[in-house]
Amino acid sequence: MPLGDFLTALDTLESKSENFIVVLTGGEPLLRNDIEICGREIRSRGVRWSMVTNGYLYNEQKHVSLLNAGLGALTISLDGLENTHNWLRNKKDSFSKVDRAIDLAASSSRLNFDVVTCVNSRNWQELPALYDYLIQKKVKAWRLFTIVPIGRAKDNPELFLTDLQFKELMDFISEKRKLKLLDVKFSCEGYVGQYEQKVRDQPFFCRAGINIGSILIDGSISACPNIDRSFSQGNIYQDNFAEIWENNYQAFRDRSWTKRGQCAECADYTDCRGNGLHNWHENKENVLICHNEKIERITK
Amino acid sequence: MKRNWTRKLIGGLSFTSAMFVFQACYGTPQDFGLDILIEGQVKSKATGLPVKGIKVSVEENMQYDFTNEDGKFSFYTEPVNSLKIKFEDVDFAQYGTFVNKDTIPAIADKRVYLNIALDTK
Repeated sequence: MPLGDFLTALDTLESKSENFIVVLTGGEPLLRNDIEICGREIRSRGVRWSMVTNGYLYNEQKHVSLLNAGLGALTISLDGLENTHNWLRNKKDSFSKVDRAIDLAASSSRLNFDVVTCVNSRNWQELPALYDYLIQKKVKAWRLFTIVPIGRAKDNPELFLTDLQFKELMDFISEKRKLKLLDVKFSCEGYVGQYEQKVRDQPFFCRAGINIGSILIDGSISACPNIDRSFSQGNIYQDNFAEIWENNYQAFRDRSWTKRGQCAECADYTDCRGNGLHNWHENKENVLICHNEKIERITK
Repeated sequence: MKRNWTRKLIGGLSFTSAMFVFQACYGTPQDFGLDILIEGQVKSKATGLPVKGIKVSVEENMQYDFTNEDGKFSFYTEPVNSLKIKFEDVDFAQYGTFVNKDTIPAIADKRVYLNIALDTK
């Protein structure tokens, strides 16, 4: 997407709060040659910006140029120890590159950064070693999430945790949080019932469309980018972004439609509200994954 | 009433942009805005002309920038106490030879503009 198109949409928002932030993600934002120009243009509008990266292109020169351009927060994806990370990324030097990126990010007191790990059946047993690795790297925050069976992932069973593995993931996060050596947390991907107070700072609530909006590569206006495209609220090439934000997004702001399928009679619905909205796809007759159900199948 | 409600929503909007092909994104930590913009222009004290190629760096920090054709530079950095900005001629006379200079700017705002004049060697 040409930068000017994005900025035109951004400029439709007349007032923005102090905490307003533009998150550049992808794909991989560092594939853009003009990423620093993007950042400076965003900052010139009084808006902060941050980025999610796989770290492959994040070398010392890039670190400096991004800080110069006003980068303030960063998330780096790490998917396991060396062999596992390289397997998932399908590149033999991916781990060495992300290792370098983590060192650089950790060296900056300016950046507020964390590491995210997509937990799957290949890296699940490496979590204790990864935890030690991140502490040794002076990382302060680690977010863990699992894969939703959508897109290419749904055809790869190696990427999914069993119910027992998922429950043990919750136990792992819960135990490590007690140590307070590293801010470990489960991502915002879903409601986890009895573990809610143990694996994250705040109770689950999917903020998609509430205080998270997005513009995707084709200009479509949505919330979190992993939400099904059928939730699209418009397109910046036809619509005014601010008007869409103010007047649309009904499916995000009134979640009553999610009380269907297995959610219809669920005792936890009031706390869960249909789980993360990225778990509703295609005909939306039922939630794709119920994280709490996975836990309850093991504990009851 | 509805307008006020939506304004509050926009006030807290965290705007996620997928500029390329989407894989998966769950946002980033909050940026606490711990930086200031340092910018300015470097000129030759002798000629008054802009000087290109001067390395502008922050002491005890890996950040640096180089002045452009107009002698201008610009970067965001942390507003630490006694922030020392260093101006160094590192291009071996390509754009003239100048005496290095350090300055500790007064920081009263989120933006500092520096006009620097360098002595010729």
